[in-house]
Amino acid sequence: MKKSLSTWILAGLLALASAASLFVGVTDIGIGDLAAGGMQLRIFLLSRIPRLLAILCTGAGMSVAGLIMQQLCMNKFVSPSTGATIQSAQFGILLSLVFIPGVGLWGRVMLAFAAAMLGTWAFVAFIQRIQYKNAALVPLVGIMFGNVLGGITNFIAYQSEVTQQLSSYFVGSFALVIRGNYELVFLAAPLIALAFIYANHFNIVGMGRDFSSNLGVKYGRVLLLGLSVSAAITASVVTVVGQISYIGLIIPNIVAMFRGDRIRGTLCDTALSGALFVLVADMIARTVIRPYELPIELIVGIIGSLLFIGMLFAKLGKPLIRLTRKEGTCHG
Amino acid sequence: MNIAKLTKAYDGKTVVDGVSFDIPRGKVTSLIGPNGAGKSTVMGMISRLIARDAGEIGFEGRDLSAWKSRELAKKLAILTQHNNITMKLTVRELVAFGRFPYSGNRLTAQDNAMIDKAIAYMELGEFEHRFIDELSGGQRQRAYIAMVIAQDTEYVLLDEPTNNLDIYHASNMMRMVRRLCDELGKTVILVLHELNYAAFYSDYICAFKDGRIAKFGTVDEVMTRETLSSLYGVDFEIIRVHERPLSLFY
Amino acid sequence: MVDAKRNVSIWTKTSAAAMNPARRGNARKIAILSLLTLLAGAAYLLVLSYPEKPKLFAYVLSLRIPTLIVMVIAAFAIGCASLVFQSIIGNRIVTPCLLGMNAMYTLVHTAVVFIAGSGSVVARNANVSFIIDLIVMGTAATFIYAYIFKKTGNNVLYVLLIGTVLSSFFGSVQSTMIRVMDPNEYDALLVTLVADFNNVNAEVIALSIVLLGALAFFLRHDLALLDVITLGRAQAINLGVDYERTVRRLMLGVVLCIAVATAMVGPISFLGLIIANLARQLMKTHRHSYLITASALFGMAAIIAGQMISQHVFSYAVPVSTFITIGGGAYFLYLLLFTKGGV
Repeated sequence: MKKSLSTWILAGLLALASAASLFVGVTDIGIGDLAAGGMQLRIFLLSRIPRLLAILCTGAGMSVAGLIMQQLCMNKFVSPSTGATIQSAQFGILLSLVFIPGVGLWGRVMLAFAAAMLGTWAFVAFIQRIQYKNAALVPLVGIMFGNVLGGITNFIAYQSEVTQQLSSYFVGSFALVIRGNYELVFLAAPLIALAFIYANHFNIVGMGRDFSSNLGVKYGRVLLLGLSVSAAITASVVTVVGQISYIGLIIPNIVAMFRGDRIRGTLCDTALSGALFVLVADMIARTVIRPYELPIELIVGIIGSLLFIGMLFAKLGKPLIRLTRKEGTCHG
Repeated sequence: MNIAKLTKAYDGKTVVDGVSFDIPRGKVTSLIGPNGAGKSTVMGMISRLIARDAGEIGFEGRDLSAWKSRELAKKLAILTQHNNITMKLTVRELVAFGRFPYSGNRLTAQDNAMIDKAIAYMELGEFEHRFIDELSGGQRQRAYIAMVIAQDTEYVLLDEPTNNLDIYHASNMMRMVRRLCDELGKTVILVLHELNYAAFYSDYICAFKDGRIAKFGTVDEVMTRETLSSLYGVDFEIIRVHERPLSLFY
Repeated sequence: MVDAKRNVSIWTKTSAAAMNPARRGNARKIAILSLLTLLAGAAYLLVLSYPEKPKLFAYVLSLRIPTLIVMVIAAFAIGCASLVFQSIIGNRIVTPCLLGMNAMYTLVHTAVVFIAGSGSVVARNANVSFIIDLIVMGTAATFIYAYIFKKTGNNVLYVLLIGTVLSSFFGSVQSTMIRVMDPNEYDALLVTLVADFNNVNAEVIALSIVLLGALAFFLRHDLALLDVITLGRAQAINLGVDYERTVRRLMLGVVLCIAVATAMVGPISFLGLIIANLARQLMKTHRHSYLITASALFGMAAIIAGQMISQHVFSYAVPVSTFITIGGGAYFLYLLLFTKGGV
């Protein structure tokens, strides 16, 4: 597989930004301090490196999850945050907090995964059945479905008095990531690899049921696999870091503008760009009100929503061929 | 109505370029021309739905923009092809809106008489209390015409009134246009795609091409082989039916 | 002969019999709705108010009366604004709050305090900051939303999607501002800056009433044109309405109403959607005088009843807005997916 220039540039930028990120923080740490060991080195190993790894996995994972969902749903506006995946995962976490408080991190993530899977599956099954498929209708339904789920989550949380505990799963932040409680996000790495192996399958399924059976690809099975991968990545990120919106929506779209829609060609760039985006957002979050830090969800939310609106305006300006691809293939 | 040097450009592209002509009173005038010739834009400017860049539209001695909107609504009625009303309205309620320029939201006995007349004229009596979204396309179109009649204006502007109608309803519509002029004495201006409807039912034709007037005159003056061929870029034959010129093209 | 007969029958049917029953029916519906609202208001004041202990009773009332007034004003503002907005846009699914106008007001308010500083006159005097908020909001919102409608060519689904995203954008910026102002006192600051039902902003009651009254007065001619506006731009212009000016003025009115409501009870997104559609369903008419009244009354009844349930059934544990989000969101999905030709 020949890597293109853009991939190398992205990788280079990411390496640079990662290095910079390691040396941004409340405590000043220089390279000399590391060599000297002691307090600085411990902060470095306990907090900075875990944080960096968590950021990389979150960024890459969420953007790949978004890419897969967009392909499978044949809609550029679907993602974990506009497909009710995040809210479903939060609902799962709520259930674990209320009913089995002592379940631990792994149990919690399993419940989050199961809920995310169910919620996303219900959403996708539903939008596949509605006949009137305007490109903008699908994310709108997803967002509202997510809102209702969020409302129910809130209601139960108020009733069971777990609002405080739950709030950290709503506003994503890397502030609490330290060694020992974050390793779960590493799940993203094998899942991205899996996505890479099945990239062509996802592409084919994205062209529709008839198209895939024509090429001998099992539509239902690949759809289930793709959604499971997205749900698993989202569940692990929400459990460890909390809600991070818009990455899965924005990054794949930006990359596709330059690299097209073939997943094999874009997957690597999408993962790298996602990681880079979150890394930069995190550095902003840590420097704006030093020595305090802003939750990264706020920074990502501001930049992401603006980019998304810009994207909507840009797409409205052009003929909506890309957006409404779905209508065409459905009739054909 | 006197139109002088009307001009309109969208994004630097001129779609109407110095159009001037006088609309004969008490007659039916059709605006025709190929797609993008600017006829609908001219209509839009005459009906004040589209702002003009330059030019004048004299109406009863004053420019259109000098009129009070409410007063103008008593003289000049507009019917466009897009009438997607989201409200639940009965036919009678729709027709009653035609009296809005006169009495606002409160209908007088005189208004009600006008509404009855308009409904009877368009033979909508049996549908009077049906909701307009339950009607067929032809019936709905008639309801809108009834509203225009209730508005009781001397001038009636119709933008592609036969659009989306089948041959039966389109012919009925055109006969209706003729009656508006002949029986009620109205001046009717309409944009038409179907050349032969324009030829058969109007008195004057204004032919547009590339934002300018290619030819303006009586039906017989405009419906000639030379004019039409250069207008549409297709060969035409003219035959006469009921002493009117009709065009054949293929 | 036959024709003449038919004409006569039309005459008798329409002028006397057919129009009036519908109108009388609507008047009766409004009367019943008003009565229900009054009863809800009285129940809110009197349920568990300990009338046998005069001192306690007076205390309870002194707490509940301002809250009741605030709720009534807010419901009135939201009900009117949502219905008028729907009619201007020509769509039943779009309401100002769904497009993020309430989130925008919260942001404007926070931004004003942020820029002026939390110790300044602006931050300490509720009325001063309210007036500044209204000016900023009136200018910014009319500009932003006019731009969105123009840019999307009034494509309703895109308007809604952009509005929803915009709403989350305003929320994020506002949250960031509060954290930047005082990272330690985030929660406390949030409570003072954003009202909610358990923490209503009663300081601006007088100003709000004056403002709403002034709006109703200055927009009375524009409101009378609403029936015609609903026919669409071309028809409205045909019937002699100065469409652009009227819509611009009504839009400003809508923005200010939402600002008033949000200032008093905080952002509640789906209330307007529910009550405006209930009003349209109940009053089978296109007459806005009835529709607006019904929408405002539904709003009052809904808010008061919601607040009572929150107080007495859930003893303040679950805020009213939670119910509204769940019910309203589900209702929105229903409208979005199952309204024939609605979008």
